[in-house]
Amino acid sequence: KMMLALFVVLALTGSSFAQTCCSVEDSNEVHRMWSGVWSAEFTGRRIKVAQSIFIDLFGSHPDAVALFSRVKGDNVDSPEFRAHCVRVVNGLDTCINLLTDPATLNQHLSHLSGQHAKRDGVRAAHFDAIATSFKNVMPQISNCFNPDAWGHCFGRIADAISSGLP
Amino acid sequence: PPPRPSSCGTLQRLKVKQQWAQAFGQGTSRETFGTALWRNLFNRAPDARDLFKNVDGDNVFSNKFQAHIQRVLGGLDMSISLLDDEGTLNAELAHLRMQHAERGIADENWEVFKDALLDVVPDELGSCFDYDAWNCCFTVIAVGIRGR
Repeated sequence: KMMLALFVVLALTGSSFAQTCCSVEDSNEVHRMWSGVWSAEFTGRRIKVAQSIFIDLFGSHPDAVALFSRVKGDNVDSPEFRAHCVRVVNGLDTCINLLTDPATLNQHLSHLSGQHAKRDGVRAAHFDAIATSFKNVMPQISNCFNPDAWGHCFGRIADAISSGLP
Repeated sequence: PPPRPSSCGTLQRLKVKQQWAQAFGQGTSRETFGTALWRNLFNRAPDARDLFKNVDGDNVFSNKFQAHIQRVLGGLDMSISLLDDEGTLNAELAHLRMQHAERGIADENWEVFKDALLDVVPDELGSCFDYDAWNCCFTVIAVGIRGR
C-alpha cells in the first residue's frame, strides 16, 4: 500500500513536470522562434525588440524604472539604455542557445543569478513581470509564436536566475 | 583585384556582421566554435590560462569554462552587431571597458585574441573570409574595450 501511494505521488509529480518543463520539443520551438528575431545581421531589429520589452515592462510597472537609473532607464532612447537593453536580451540569447547543453546552461545561470543578487531592489517578482512583457512582445515579432513552448523554456531560465532573490 | 580595406568603414562593418552571424551560428555549433577559439588562443599563449582561474581555465571543456566562453562570445556578438550603430556601440564598449579594467590584460594578449579569432572564423567561412575587414573592425572593438 505504501508502495502504491508512492507510485501515485511519483506519477502525479511526473505529469505536472511534463506540463511545465522545457522539453527538447519546446527548446526546438524556442530556437525556431528566437533565431528569426535575433540575428547579428539586424542591429536595428535587436534594439527595437529589446527596447519594446522594457517599454512594455515600464508601462505596466512604472516603479521598475528606478532600478535602471545607472543605465538611464528614464530615457529609453539614450545610447546607455539601448546598450543595456541589448545586453539583457543578449543574455537571454546565450541562455536559449545553451538549452541543448543543460550542464553548461546551469553554470551560466548561476553566474547570472549572482549578478542579479548584487543589484539592490531586484526581486523574484520582477522576473514574472518581464516574462509577461516577453509574452506581450514576442507574438508581435515572432513568426508563428508558440506561447506554451516559450513559457516553459523562459520559465526554466528565469526561475534559475531569480531563485536566490527576495 | 578589389581594393583591400584599410579601415573599418560602413561596408566593412556590414560584411563583418554578416560573416559573424554565419560563423557564430546557433545552439551547439556555438560551443564548437567557442571551444576552437579558446584552444587556439591557449596554444598561442599558454600563460593566459592564469587569467581564467576562477572559471576553470585549466580545462576548456569544463562546464564552468564553457559557460565563460559563451559569455565572451555574447559580448563579442553584441559589439559586432552594433558596429553600424555608433552611439550604442560606444556605450556598450564603455561597459565592457569597465568589466575588463581591473583584470590586468596585457596588450599582447589582445593581439593574441585577435589572431586566434581571425584564425578560427575562416573555418566556418572558407575562402569567403574577409581578413582585412575583420582585422580593421576587430581593432575598433578591441581599442574601445582597452580604452587605448
